[in-house]
Amino acid sequence: MSRRIPIIASIAVGSMVLLAGCSSGSSPNDNGSSSAPSEQAGPATLKVQYLQSDTFTAMNTLMTSVKTEFESTHKNVTVELQPVTATDTDYDTKLSLSLRSASTAPDVFYEDTFQVKSDIEAGYLLNLDTYLKTWPDWSQFNEGAKAAGQGDDGSIYAISLGTDTRVIWYSIPVMKKANITLPWQPKTWQDILDTAAKIKAAEPGVVPFTMYAGTGTGEGTVMQSFYELLYGTGNGLGLYDASAKKWIVGSQGFIDSLTFLETLYKDGYAVTPAEALDPNVWKTVLGTLMPEAKAGGTVEGSYTPSFWEKGGPFPWPAYTTDVGTALFPTQNGEAPGGVSMSGGWTLAASATTKNPDLAFEFMSLALNHDNALSYAIAASQIAVRTDVAAEPTYLAANPFQKAVTDAVSVTHYRPATSDYPKISSAAQTATESVITGKQTPQEAAAAYDTAVEGIVGADMVTKQ
Amino acid sequence: MTAPITKAGPGTSSRASRRASGVSVALPGKAVPRLLANVILIVIGLCFLIPLVWMVLASIDPKASYQTQVPQSFTLSNFSAVLTPELAFGPLWNSLLLSLGTAVITVVVAVLAAYPLSRYQARYNKPFMYTVLFGTTLPITAIMVPVYSLFVQFNLLDSLWGVILFMSAAALPIAIWMAKNFMDSVPISLEEAAWVDGASAMKALRVIVVPLMRPGIAVVFIFVFIQAWGNFFVPFILLLSPSKQPAAVSIYAFFGQYGAIAYGQLAAFSILYSVPVIVLYVIISRGVGGSFALAGAVKG
Amino acid sequence: MTAQPLVKHDAALPTGGPHPHRTAGRLGRALPLVPSVLLLATFLLGPVIWSFYGSFTNSALSGPNAKNPQFIGLKNYVDLMNDPVFPLSLIVTLVFVIVSAIIGQNVLGMSIALLMQRANHVVGSIVGTLVVAAWVLPEIVAAFIAYAYFSNDGTLNQLLALIGVTGPNWLFSFPMVAIILANVWRGTAFSMLVYQAALQDVPTEITEAAMVDGAGGVQRLIYITLPMIKTSISTNLMLITLQTLSVFTLIWVMTKGGPASASSTLPVLAYHEAFQFGDIGYGTAIATIMLVVGAIFATIYVLLLRSEDQVK
Repeated sequence: MSRRIPIIASIAVGSMVLLAGCSSGSSPNDNGSSSAPSEQAGPATLKVQYLQSDTFTAMNTLMTSVKTEFESTHKNVTVELQPVTATDTDYDTKLSLSLRSASTAPDVFYEDTFQVKSDIEAGYLLNLDTYLKTWPDWSQFNEGAKAAGQGDDGSIYAISLGTDTRVIWYSIPVMKKANITLPWQPKTWQDILDTAAKIKAAEPGVVPFTMYAGTGTGEGTVMQSFYELLYGTGNGLGLYDASAKKWIVGSQGFIDSLTFLETLYKDGYAVTPAEALDPNVWKTVLGTLMPEAKAGGTVEGSYTPSFWEKGGPFPWPAYTTDVGTALFPTQNGEAPGGVSMSGGWTLAASATTKNPDLAFEFMSLALNHDNALSYAIAASQIAVRTDVAAEPTYLAANPFQKAVTDAVSVTHYRPATSDYPKISSAAQTATESVITGKQTPQEAAAAYDTAVEGIVGADMVTKQ
Repeated sequence: MTAPITKAGPGTSSRASRRASGVSVALPGKAVPRLLANVILIVIGLCFLIPLVWMVLASIDPKASYQTQVPQSFTLSNFSAVLTPELAFGPLWNSLLLSLGTAVITVVVAVLAAYPLSRYQARYNKPFMYTVLFGTTLPITAIMVPVYSLFVQFNLLDSLWGVILFMSAAALPIAIWMAKNFMDSVPISLEEAAWVDGASAMKALRVIVVPLMRPGIAVVFIFVFIQAWGNFFVPFILLLSPSKQPAAVSIYAFFGQYGAIAYGQLAAFSILYSVPVIVLYVIISRGVGGSFALAGAVKG
Repeated sequence: MTAQPLVKHDAALPTGGPHPHRTAGRLGRALPLVPSVLLLATFLLGPVIWSFYGSFTNSALSGPNAKNPQFIGLKNYVDLMNDPVFPLSLIVTLVFVIVSAIIGQNVLGMSIALLMQRANHVVGSIVGTLVVAAWVLPEIVAAFIAYAYFSNDGTLNQLLALIGVTGPNWLFSFPMVAIILANVWRGTAFSMLVYQAALQDVPTEITEAAMVDGAGGVQRLIYITLPMIKTSISTNLMLITLQTLSVFTLIWVMTKGGPASASSTLPVLAYHEAFQFGDIGYGTAIATIMLVVGAIFATIYVLLLRSEDQVK
């Protein structure tokens, strides 16, 4: 029987070559993005992929209207919209899987800023420099937005759709019942714990103050919880020393941040650990607990009003008066007195698109003044175009627009390196181990350090 | 019908579908153990039944939750809510294309392969059958990562045909086994007459063997179809366009984000999605050769 | 190139096949095998070869290694050995396979088959149908049902409340118990059908003769029935072991491998590493290890059948 193995192996290789030969050409059943040549003479198809869910429809609205507009001016172009219904994490996975192959990569796609760097290095994204040079609107984008789509080579590969900040959202009725002075602005972590203790004593059955933890909520765990803690400790560098280009390990701030989460969960201030691991815990917190005055507060993004507004997934007319915001404090009230995190999503085009000109035209249409304005309002984004940011309708979109925009002054961005997604996952795992009682904060922090060293190599870390 | 796997070694002609039905033979004169056996079986049956009850009750309950409860009122709104082109019809159509394509290709290729294996005694028969046997045990989920990489290389990602060919290949080892054993049970003497008439081997296969082993072919076909219909992981990784995804993936995308979800709709969709395979299973177990037909053949 | 090697080994003896001069020669006889050989070689053998190769590279979904994957030798395997999650995942996989398949499905399936021989025919066939129902359902549907059943406010805790017990949050506190029970529920039908068929082969005269000799029920089972169906037992064990080794959907829907990797079997770990963290090479190394484990089982199985074959 062993004699057959080389035979079968050679058949395997042979048929693989055959198959690869057949499919590398543009075979008729190849459902690739566009079969038309790049000179836009013949009909062309533009495949556009983006995230959609029961709680996020603003992108679908935008893309649908841009498709109509685009097709009316480009008679022989079909825009094929591909809304992907998924969680953020599953969307990232799905997008990576399709970018890997030129035949499946969408021409234009919606991408999280933290994936941009990694995808630039993979060569997946189209260099936009030549197009931006002649696009008058580009000067309207602020510096932060430009940096979000920039590669190490200085070129721009993705254009920001908007940014966000994170603040504390608290329930005014719950605070009132517990006799907390309003407006509430905790100065230190201890202030949060003290307030939570008062709420717990005054209102049994109410979740006093919850913050995300665990891998279930993915980037939400770090962006809306752990980093608010971590970046408010020590020298405020957080994960990464950008000047030395090294990842920080062995920091006391990391342990302290985990300890804070441990306290929150152990003392019953947060939701139960089991609930926290549900990827949709945020729907419970924002959709049920907050509107029903069953939660004192939580840390969430500037886009939160989009969930509560009329037409949103959890309409709550009274939110404009029943909700207050506060900056998340630094550990002991150190300067600058608050912490926020910023991310956001971009539009990018595939490096392998057969119609780069059309792809950019589509992007620039989606990102022009009018579309950017309506998207910023519908998705409760912080505008990155200066002309949009000055619009009265944008400023009056919801009563918290000023508060969340002010948080920009104390905000941080995630390290823009291709290793970041894995390191973020290691940090999420650390929070999960701590709130489930599997590890102490010290043990979890040590495990994180080991993981980071394994991901980037021992010469790329710095001890603190 | 366990024969294909449990009894027959490669190269031996096994007696396929020897047993017509799965009627169990109760031993006489054992009154007390018999009562006890009944009681234990009923308890086991209940344990298997209870989880299923939730699906049925929740699907007609306007206020369904994860609790098993008798609905306060009866509704079909859960069914009408999921019966949309986007959620149900498109994905179910894709499931049908995938399963039908896989089943047809697998059956045709397996019957072709079974013919020389059953009719000629060649030296490659044994090693071939051992290789096939080995293939039946490959853990398919284990190779999804390399399969993905391979699909990227071949430009087959997001291609329905690619997925159909892969699922056919995965089902092929067991299908060849089953087909060969069914074919062995067709007496060769009938073909001899045809050879005298000057028919080619392929014609004999088409005109004589295939019609005689129709029940066997039906078993292989339905078996492969059911497997493909229920497959989640393969299309989840290899099909990326939402418009190409089968029901298994769409049900995951819409409802898999558990939490504040529509339990009633989930249950309703689950029922709609399961009905075709349940019907097919009933056909196979009643119509062709009893449920034992699947027993020896099935690979999870 | 595909058919050529087959010619050499084709020493077909015309024993009742079509008359030689009617066939297109020996090559022609093997021709119907070609489509199956092509399919198997491309889509099963191909990924297996690719798996070994890919596990020696740092291929990735994104980042610089996506563009230029490099050959890194055994680094993925060395990293796996040092990764604290890997040994945990191995143990979780082992526990899952042994408890849910080898003990759970196998013993329960045989018990049901044995009880059916004794029980009322109607009871037997109804229970048989219920057991099979869980197995015929699409995997993802079975997974959702199991999720609903074990969730905190699900049916199991509802039942426990009836007898005054406050059930734990199974999926969180005892994820392994939940996925093991779910896999027993889903997979027992296979073992039951195999043993039902096998027991049909045990001639009633033999067991009846034993009864005349006064052999007790348990003794009869151990000394007469089990040895007579031992091939079915070993085959069944081998198949359900490999089926359970590749269970993904059930675990993915119920626990996603969590909490904190507590129910992360090897397929779930491979998915995580390869597709969620984008580390294709590392995920491929995990897949290769699963293939090796599977191949060991498969070899034992094939050898077993072969020795059986030679006995005849």
